[in-house]
Amino acid sequence: MRKYKFNVSMMWLLLCAGLFVAMTRPAYAQSPELQADNKPLRVALTGKFPPFNYYNQQGELAGFDVDVANAIGKHIGRKIQFVPTEWDGILAGLLGGKFDTIIGSMAITPVRARQVNFSKPYYHSGAQLFVHRDNPAQVYSIDECDGLKISAVLGETYQHYLDENHPNIDVVTLKSSVEIFELLQQQRVTGFVTDRLVGSWQIKQADRPFVPVGGMLYSEDIGIPVRMDDTALLKQINMALAKIKADGTMKRIHQKYFGLSTTADNAGKATMSDAVIARKLLKGFAVTIGIAVASLAIGFVLAIPCGVILNKPKGGMLILYWPVRTVVDFLRGTPVLIQLLFAWMGLGLSPFTAAIGTLGINAMAYMAEVIRSGLMSVDQGQVLAARALAMNHLQTFRFVVWPQAFRVAIPPLMNCVVALTKDTALVAVISVSEVIREAQAIISVTFEPTKYYFFVAVMFFVVTFPLMKLASMLERRIAQRGFNHD
Amino acid sequence: MIEIKDLSYVYPNADEPVLKQISATFPRENVFAVLGQSGSGKTTLLNCIARFLHPTSGQIEIDGKDIASMDELEFRHTLGVVFQKLNLFPHLSVLRNLTLAPQKVFDTPLEDARKQAREMLDRLGIGDLADRYPAQISGGQAQRVAIARGLMLQPRYMLLDEPTSALDAQTTQDFANWLTELSNVTSFIIVTHDLPFAQMVATHGVYLTDGNIQATGEVTDILNQVQQPTS
Repeated sequence: MRKYKFNVSMMWLLLCAGLFVAMTRPAYAQSPELQADNKPLRVALTGKFPPFNYYNQQGELAGFDVDVANAIGKHIGRKIQFVPTEWDGILAGLLGGKFDTIIGSMAITPVRARQVNFSKPYYHSGAQLFVHRDNPAQVYSIDECDGLKISAVLGETYQHYLDENHPNIDVVTLKSSVEIFELLQQQRVTGFVTDRLVGSWQIKQADRPFVPVGGMLYSEDIGIPVRMDDTALLKQINMALAKIKADGTMKRIHQKYFGLSTTADNAGKATMSDAVIARKLLKGFAVTIGIAVASLAIGFVLAIPCGVILNKPKGGMLILYWPVRTVVDFLRGTPVLIQLLFAWMGLGLSPFTAAIGTLGINAMAYMAEVIRSGLMSVDQGQVLAARALAMNHLQTFRFVVWPQAFRVAIPPLMNCVVALTKDTALVAVISVSEVIREAQAIISVTFEPTKYYFFVAVMFFVVTFPLMKLASMLERRIAQRGFNHD
Repeated sequence: MIEIKDLSYVYPNADEPVLKQISATFPRENVFAVLGQSGSGKTTLLNCIARFLHPTSGQIEIDGKDIASMDELEFRHTLGVVFQKLNLFPHLSVLRNLTLAPQKVFDTPLEDARKQAREMLDRLGIGDLADRYPAQISGGQAQRVAIARGLMLQPRYMLLDEPTSALDAQTTQDFANWLTELSNVTSFIIVTHDLPFAQMVATHGVYLTDGNIQATGEVTDILNQVQQPTS
C-alpha cells in the first residue's frame, strides 16, 4: 500500500512536470519529428482475425494488418508496438489512450466516425456470396438465391444482413467456416456469405473448389482510427498509406495473402489469360458437340422403330403402340432439365451418361413424332403398289415407304438437330464441363458475362446456322426433283 | 381363266355385304371388262382378285388354281395390277420404278433389269422418259409407265382399275389402240365405269350392280341391256 501511494504521488509529480513542458513548449510537443525519436507507435488489434491479424505457428503476430502496420511504421519512422486487445473493448481502449491507433480491419461506419477519426481506407472488403465451382443451382448473384440454402456463420453480421435483406433465402447458420465448407463441399447448401477477402483466404487455405459469384452484397471501407485530437498522427498515417500504395508495398502485401489483386485501388477483377480462356471454351465446345452428336445418333436410331410403331402398323407391333406412345408423350411433355436431373441424381448416372442418355431419348421422342408424320404422309397406294410388285413388308418399307417418309421428315428432323444441339446447354446444370460451364467458370473470374455468353452464343450459331441452311437446301432439292407433287 | 365362286365380301364393321355371293368366269381374252357404276362393288372385286382383300366367303381360281393357296411370288407373276391412281414411286425415276421389284424381289442383276426395262419402255413408246421422275411426266405417260412397271413381272393377267379416269378423249382413243396391241401378250381385265371405252377394247364382260352380277356376255349386249330404262 505504501508503495502504491508513493507511486501515485510520483505520478502526480510527473504529470505536473509534463503539464509544465506542454504549456511552455506546445509547438514542440506536437511535432512528429520529435515523437519519432522516442516512443513506439502502439497499435491495437485482436490477433484473432486471420488472415488480417493472427498468431502464426511460431506464435508471432502476422497477417495483412500486421504487415501494413509495419510498413506504416517504417514510413513514419516509428517502431510498432502491437497491443492485442479484445474487439469489444478496442474502441474504448483507443479513446482511453491505451494505444495510439487500431490497425485491425476496422470498417469505417458513421457511428464509429463520430467517436474517432479514420484514415483513408487501406482496403475495401464486404459481404460476398461464394458457391461451389460446380454451381449446380446455377446462381450467379445473391438475388438468384431465393428459396435456396445459403450458409453464414452464426451471429456474424452476414446472417443478419441476409435475414433483413433477403428474407426468402433459407439461411443455414453454422458455428464456423469449417462446418460451412464441409456442407458446401457435399453440396448440401448452395453457397455461403462471408467477407470477400476472409472468405477468399480461407478457401485458399482449405484448398476448396469454391468461387465468389456476383458483386459484393455491400462493401465496407476499412480504415485506421485515431483519436479525434490526434490529427498529427492521422496526417502521418495517411501520408504513409499513400506512400506504400504508390511504391507497390500495399500490392505486395495483398498478393502475399490473397493471391489476387484485390487492393482498394483495384478492387474486384481477377484475370485469366486469353489463351486459357480460348482453350477452355474450345474444349467445352468440343464436349458440347460430342454430346450432341452422340445423343443425335442414339436418338435417330431409336426414333425409326418408334416412329414406325407410332404409325400403327398392322400386325404384332401394335402391342408396342401404347408403351411407346406413353414414353414419347411423357418425354415431350416434361422439361428436359427435370429429366437430366432425374437421370443424374435420381438414377445416379454419371453426368456424362446422364447427359447423353437423356438428350438421346429426348431426341428419340421428338424425332419419332417427325418420322411418324413422315410415314403418315406416304400414300397407302404406295404400299399396295409395292405389294402388287411382290415386295414383302421389309422391302416395301425400305425401298418405297421409308425413302419418301424420310424426305418429308428431313426439314423437321433438321429442326430437331438444331434444337437438341441447343439443349446441350442444359447439361451444364448436371456438372458436365461443356461450353456453358466453361464460360461460367471464366465469367466467375473475369466478371464479363456479356462478352463470354455472347462468344458462346456465336459458337452455337456457327454450328446451327449451316445446319439450318442445309435443311432448306435439302428441302429445295427435294422440291426440284418434283417429289412434292406426286 | 379366272373363276369366281360364291364370292362375298363384307367390310369390317359393315352390315351389308359389298359383294353378294357372286359367281362368274372371266375367260382368258385379250381384254375382259368388269363394268358397273360407282358403288357397285367392282373395286372390291378387283381388290379380292388382287389379294389385297380376303373374301368373307367363296374363292377365286386363276387357271384352275385357288389364289389363296399360291405363294406371293407365283401369284404376282400370274396377276399384275395397275391402280386407278397409278401409284408410281415418286422418289424414283421412271427406269427405277421398273427395275426396283425385279432387282430387289426377283434378284435380277441390276444391269439385266435395266436392259429389260429400257426394252419395255421402248416397246410402250416411252423410252425417252427413262430418267424422268413421275412428277415430270403427263397423265397418259404415267399410265404407260405404270403398265410397263406391272409388265416387268411378266404376268399372264393384268388388272387395270379405271384406266381412263385421268385421260381426255384423244388420249383415251390412243390408249385404247395401244392396249389392244399390247393385249396380244398379256390378258387385260379392265375395271371401269367408262362403257364407251369398254366397248372400244373389250369383247366380253360382266356388269355389276349393287354387289350382284346383273349381266354377263358380250359387251355390246350388256350395254344394250343396262342402258334400257329399268322395267
